[in-house]
Amino acid sequence: MAPAVRLGSGAGVSSVIGSAADIVRQIGTGARSAASVLAETKDLIRARNPDLNCFTATTFERAEREAAAIDALQAQGKPLPPLAGVPYAVKNLFDIEGMVTLAGAKVNASNAPASMDATIVARMQRAGAVLVGALNMEELAYGFTTENPHYGTTRNPHDRARGAGGSSGGSAAAVGAGMLPISLGSDTSGSIRVPASLCGVFGLKPTYGRLPRTGTFPFVNSFDHVGPFGAGVSDLALSYDAMQGPDPQDPACAQRAIEPVGTVLTLPPGIRIGILGGWFHEWAGPAARRAVQLAATALNASEWTEIKGAEAARAAAYIITGAEGGALHRPRLIERYGEFGPASRARLVAGSLIPASWVVQAQRVRQSVYREALELFERYDLLIAAAAPAVAPLVGQETMEINGRSIPAKAGLGVLTQPISCIGLPVCTVPLWPGSNERPPEKRQPEQSLPLGVQLIGAPWREDLCLGAARALEQAGVAKFRLPLAYGNTA
Amino acid sequence: MCHDERVTEGNAEPLESYVRAALALQGYHFDEAQIAEITVQFSRLEAIAQTVMQWPLPFASEAAPVFRP
Repeated sequence: MAPAVRLGSGAGVSSVIGSAADIVRQIGTGARSAASVLAETKDLIRARNPDLNCFTATTFERAEREAAAIDALQAQGKPLPPLAGVPYAVKNLFDIEGMVTLAGAKVNASNAPASMDATIVARMQRAGAVLVGALNMEELAYGFTTENPHYGTTRNPHDRARGAGGSSGGSAAAVGAGMLPISLGSDTSGSIRVPASLCGVFGLKPTYGRLPRTGTFPFVNSFDHVGPFGAGVSDLALSYDAMQGPDPQDPACAQRAIEPVGTVLTLPPGIRIGILGGWFHEWAGPAARRAVQLAATALNASEWTEIKGAEAARAAAYIITGAEGGALHRPRLIERYGEFGPASRARLVAGSLIPASWVVQAQRVRQSVYREALELFERYDLLIAAAAPAVAPLVGQETMEINGRSIPAKAGLGVLTQPISCIGLPVCTVPLWPGSNERPPEKRQPEQSLPLGVQLIGAPWREDLCLGAARALEQAGVAKFRLPLAYGNTA
Repeated sequence: MCHDERVTEGNAEPLESYVRAALALQGYHFDEAQIAEITVQFSRLEAIAQTVMQWPLPFASEAAPVFRP
């Protein structure tokens, strides 16, 4: 295992590695080799990672082998797999053969190395992708800031004084900084959608049970999802299709056939889109409301609706998360309390004390709100809500002020995502720039140059519509990846 | 409203007693400062649990855990 990268400057590296779709095409025509793409990726990582702290380890030796295998196929004129030569990295809770799966925790550092790859890492390899490393995250995935007490804070590529969000902060920031076209993360309560929102990248949290979690370090089995981050919608779709398929080793994984979305994503005519009000409007700050409005206008959506059980769903998620997370770690909390970070250990112990009646009631609430959402999907095909209540908070900021009310940043950043993951709906989060159309760059307040994501929420198993709406917003220029100013962007 | 910071009024003493008893039952051994920290965290959970416990549900509504034999 190689240590985290800590060297280099930005001199002489290309500004962005390019999209996965472009890389596949270029390798297919012989315009680039997988080895050259990997070399550029390594340069970008060496140049940008020291400021951001996205990677906890690199896997360059493995990457060299995977890239060489792709170049050999190309040289022999054989068909290339769908992600041929595309570099990617994974949140460090995914098993990588031969490496210790940290899940952001010191308490895991002495565990045995993984004996095989996580299922979806193996599927990415089969699809030709090239694994370059493991990425930083919140300790044990319990929080939304990626201020990790053991492995450091991952910083926001658009403003290094700010956090990347979490818990998949390294995954979002590595794509946001242009180091990678694709990364993988997990989402229990918003851990793909919140950092995607704060780092200005696209993120897909599929339907609960769509992608197998086999070989990932668990947090809350009732809610754990896995999914991709990307710099564009096509890249999300390419990786999502490569990872689909049943896996009997994961009891929550739906034994459904693969339903590929392809890369020609369109929205069917006459699609009905509702804007979520109520809880989702109440907890969206001004920039978040502006982002929702921009997305709604571009999608011709004007009708407001509500999930009345949203607050109850969030509360239910909170209780189930506390109970399952606490129960999972209880034996080690008894023996090795001091090895857990100060922000998580007392919360985990408290969770392990939750009475069974609260958990059972929370699971009943979950089912009830799920049914309410299904009724809503008789009237709408898609729902829109902000993905975070505000732009990225400063590193170390303990509370956030949302519409005159103060909430703790570490938990409160998920206030708009948690009700949705509680009921397992698929969501594509798209990056908008709600402050940047109002003033030129030199006249903007710092927070006006920051991204903020919007959730495109579908009915169960309708990832195709979520991605189709994301593509529509991307084509309209409303949702887009922007290379950070520090790396040469001047937009 | 968001209940993250709310502590149910008048519930501090039974709550702390519950935390101490549950810690002992679960096999934990903590000093007073640690128990105080855990009690603060549990009080937050207890406050948010009120929303769950007060949500109206039909008597026979089912829970939603995953189990597929």
